[in-house]
Amino acid sequence: MEKPQLIIDGKRADGRALDELRPIKITAHVLNGADGSALVEWGNNKVLAGVYGPRECIPRHDASPYRAVVRCRYTMAPFCSLEEHGRSGPNRRSHELSKVIREAFENVVISEAYPRTQIDVYMEVLQSDGGTRCAAITAAAVALADAGIPMKDLVCAVAVGKIDGLVAVDFSKDEDNYGESDMPIAIAPRNGDVLLFQMDGNLTREELSAAMEMAYKASAKISELQAAALKAVYDGPKKEAHLVLGDKFNSQ
Amino acid sequence: MANSIVLPGQMVSDKPARLPYCYVENNKTYATVLSLLSDDGRLVPLCGPYEPLLDDYVVSYVSEVRFSGYNININCPANAYLSGREVAQKLTVGDVLYARISAVDEIKSVELNDARLLRGGTIIEIAAAKVPRVIGKKNSMIGMISAATGCEIYVGRNGFIWVSSKGNQKLAADTIRMVEAQAHITGLTDRIKAHLDAHKAAASPAAQN
Repeated sequence: MEKPQLIIDGKRADGRALDELRPIKITAHVLNGADGSALVEWGNNKVLAGVYGPRECIPRHDASPYRAVVRCRYTMAPFCSLEEHGRSGPNRRSHELSKVIREAFENVVISEAYPRTQIDVYMEVLQSDGGTRCAAITAAAVALADAGIPMKDLVCAVAVGKIDGLVAVDFSKDEDNYGESDMPIAIAPRNGDVLLFQMDGNLTREELSAAMEMAYKASAKISELQAAALKAVYDGPKKEAHLVLGDKFNSQ
Repeated sequence: MANSIVLPGQMVSDKPARLPYCYVENNKTYATVLSLLSDDGRLVPLCGPYEPLLDDYVVSYVSEVRFSGYNININCPANAYLSGREVAQKLTVGDVLYARISAVDEIKSVELNDARLLRGGTIIEIAAAKVPRVIGKKNSMIGMISAATGCEIYVGRNGFIWVSSKGNQKLAADTIRMVEAQAHITGLTDRIKAHLDAHKAAASPAAQN
């Protein structure tokens, strides 16, 4: 396929400014069965995260007497994108992402509070359009907070990089595929710690520092949305968290 | 109520304070869990797993029979242990108990005593953080639900609630879940009372026919 034009009249193909995020909607506490959950709709991305735990660590030999084991699983649904992904389930890419996401969260989860247990974080990409690992981290952080897992910070993530020679934030799939550089970053907003840092392509030193600055600005907006989503769960009357069946039959 | 919701990583004090659910960094105190910040500066978690405490009464069930006792599920990552000496009869897997936590150590190993076998009912699971609201001030809430439904109800601190099959068990379960869902909103008692009265009114004409 021919490379599409990524920058048109100083704006991006979808009409965004270079430092503009796609529309993001975060909903916390969406699943009944999970201890904590969140749905992130980020542009055309849809990522669902569910957290279970702390619970008994299985297999037992993986358990640590000092801390909880954090386990992450990032998977893409077979129907999540235009190209076929084939069978669902872990593959090379999802193994890698699960690992880097786990390492990001191991820095903030206060795992010493729950020795000999495991905390499971499941992230399912239902629909993808570039930047799903950032959406997955953002969703997982909200789900962890919703589960009441003690954490030092609410992690958020965003991708920055270079398209058609210009530094920009939050890439869609086309910008990611045909751009010159893509750099997903996870940030602990409280102290600015970088918890995940990956890069495809190349950036000069100046471009890198400009991109980092852009990432910090964008992450502030994302963490505001995360906070609002969590507070919304406890602000008004929560919708019934369970399914009531057989109401009519019982009242007879 | 001037309580505000705080999130993990949010500063709760600019002085170092050793508070539960907090950590100190650079002489400042930050929250670790989603919680309510009360006027006196303490945090009350809004969610999260049950933390076993000494002398808590819990509703639990036998998960494993061992040589001289039982492993008990108390809705917490670590299993509790109940010695066979503490109960008069033999228990089997699935038996529901109302028991007291007699010992907890630093790795959250729990021992139980004062166990009482509960028969003919079901366990409802709610968030442990919401249990105080389900009980109410001096058992007011649970007393009201129990009186209106005719059910015997045992509330465990761990978020397990046992409701007897005798009485309107479904109404009791629905009401308890309603309390859980609306625990943080003021005027809860009145709403629950209205909910129970509405069901009572709906049920009474049917009873006459």
